[in-house]
Amino acid sequence: MIRFENVGMRYGMGPEVLRDVSFHLAPGSFHFLTGPSGAGKTSLLKLMFLANRPSRGLITMFGEDVATLPRAELPTMRRRIGVVFQEFRMLDHLTTYENVALPLKIQGRREESYRGDVEELLAWVGLGDRMNARPPTLSGGEKQRAAIARAVVAQPDLLLADEPTGNVDPEMGQRLLRLFIELNRLGTSVLIATHDRALVEAAGAPELVLRNGGLTIRG
Amino acid sequence: MADPHRQPPRFDALSHAEERPGIGASLTALLVETRSIMPAAGSTGLPLLLVVAAMCFLASLALGAALSVSDKTREWSADISGSLTVELRPSRDMEPEEQVDAVMTVLADVPGILTATPLRTEETIALLEPWLGKGLVTDDLPLPRLIDIRIDRESPPDLSALAIDIAAAAPGASLDTHRQWRGELLSAARSASWLAYGVLAVVAGTTIAIVIFATRAGLSANREVVEVLHLIGAKDGFIASEVQRHFLHLGLRGGFIGAAAGALAFLALGFAGGTGDMFLVAASGLAPEHYPALLAVPVAAALVTLTTARLTVLNTLERLL
Repeated sequence: MIRFENVGMRYGMGPEVLRDVSFHLAPGSFHFLTGPSGAGKTSLLKLMFLANRPSRGLITMFGEDVATLPRAELPTMRRRIGVVFQEFRMLDHLTTYENVALPLKIQGRREESYRGDVEELLAWVGLGDRMNARPPTLSGGEKQRAAIARAVVAQPDLLLADEPTGNVDPEMGQRLLRLFIELNRLGTSVLIATHDRALVEAAGAPELVLRNGGLTIRG
Repeated sequence: MADPHRQPPRFDALSHAEERPGIGASLTALLVETRSIMPAAGSTGLPLLLVVAAMCFLASLALGAALSVSDKTREWSADISGSLTVELRPSRDMEPEEQVDAVMTVLADVPGILTATPLRTEETIALLEPWLGKGLVTDDLPLPRLIDIRIDRESPPDLSALAIDIAAAAPGASLDTHRQWRGELLSAARSASWLAYGVLAVVAGTTIAIVIFATRAGLSANREVVEVLHLIGAKDGFIASEVQRHFLHLGLRGGFIGAAAGALAFLALGFAGGTGDMFLVAASGLAPEHYPALLAVPVAAALVTLTTARLTVLNTLERLL
């Protein structure tokens, strides 16, 4: 489903942050992305959620070569990808509920058709009573759960999460892992970038290990 | 904290086909300011509203002036082109009354002339009064005699043949078709309406430039929002419509305020100016039938602000991957 072949990436004229990265994620797979800080995890994720272009190499997503895809086709592809950003990136002027419902709203769906589902999801991540709060009033952990809810609400084909359990206690971490596993069971491919060894061991899924811009696969 | 063993939500309940809102719903969304996903930063502030209102005020004045002028032009050309004047300069060879009779004989045979009325000497003196003053015209001042002719506008006489016939009928007789006077008036009026349209164009251009600035400022203030919407798969058109909605309301509001101020200005001009006419523009204000035309100002302002904002957003988004 996702295929990277000899992908390299640099920012501007800087050094390559990713070098000859090649891997393949099958549909319905579950992987972790690990590696020390600064190894290029976030850069790799940015390539996968189509925020940046590679400097070289071939990226195929959902059977399409990203480099040759017309710009107008990109939104459709992005809607198949749910992203939990490292810094959450909630919209501060909208309520938690509106933030989470955003991916459904931009698809042109009517609110009546999703309101119940969004509320159920929010209740499940423990934000049932914070629905009308705005992100600046949420704690770090609450923001993180709202960001995860937004990423999964449209049931994407691919879920990318950058440190999704960095700000929550271990119990909530396990709970969120179960959400990812449930989503994966329903057919979503999941890739989670994390430093949390407990999370990796609990899931027992294969790991993509990034070190100095190069990638190896473990497990 | 909720129960950790609770089952995750059933995602299969979340899949629905994309729905398109009906025309009615789109129209409502367009006209009623609903909460937008894009914050209004930079697009609905009071200063910007004032600027747009001022622009629309100027546009209303220019539009009103253009309408008044073209109205007057039409009035004059209709009025004057239906009439001719024969001027009979005093001549040593013929008495004034004989001159009049000779020309009247010629005119009687020309088809297309409705009436021909010689002006009496007193009437001619009255016409000169504004220039010479009352009672200053003496009997020894040689005055031309005038004949006022109304022609049938449907089948007018051949004016050049008529001019030759009249000149031949009596010494000192000549036909004045008012053409030169009319031509000068019309060209002055035409310049005035071009000026008014020029003002309209400058106002529109300035408004466009202001809206481009405001849209860019709004986009950079909301960079994070735009990026997030973009990355979760919002189409450029969706982001543009969220932004342009603010500008539609800005244009409508500013337009109504400006047009209302313009209408008030014309009304005030009407009260202050009384019935007199200034050069070209009726000082009595705008003719009542032209007031509805001022409603075009808010509509045009809304279209201009909306289109400009949309194009600016699309242009900016084009630079993102």
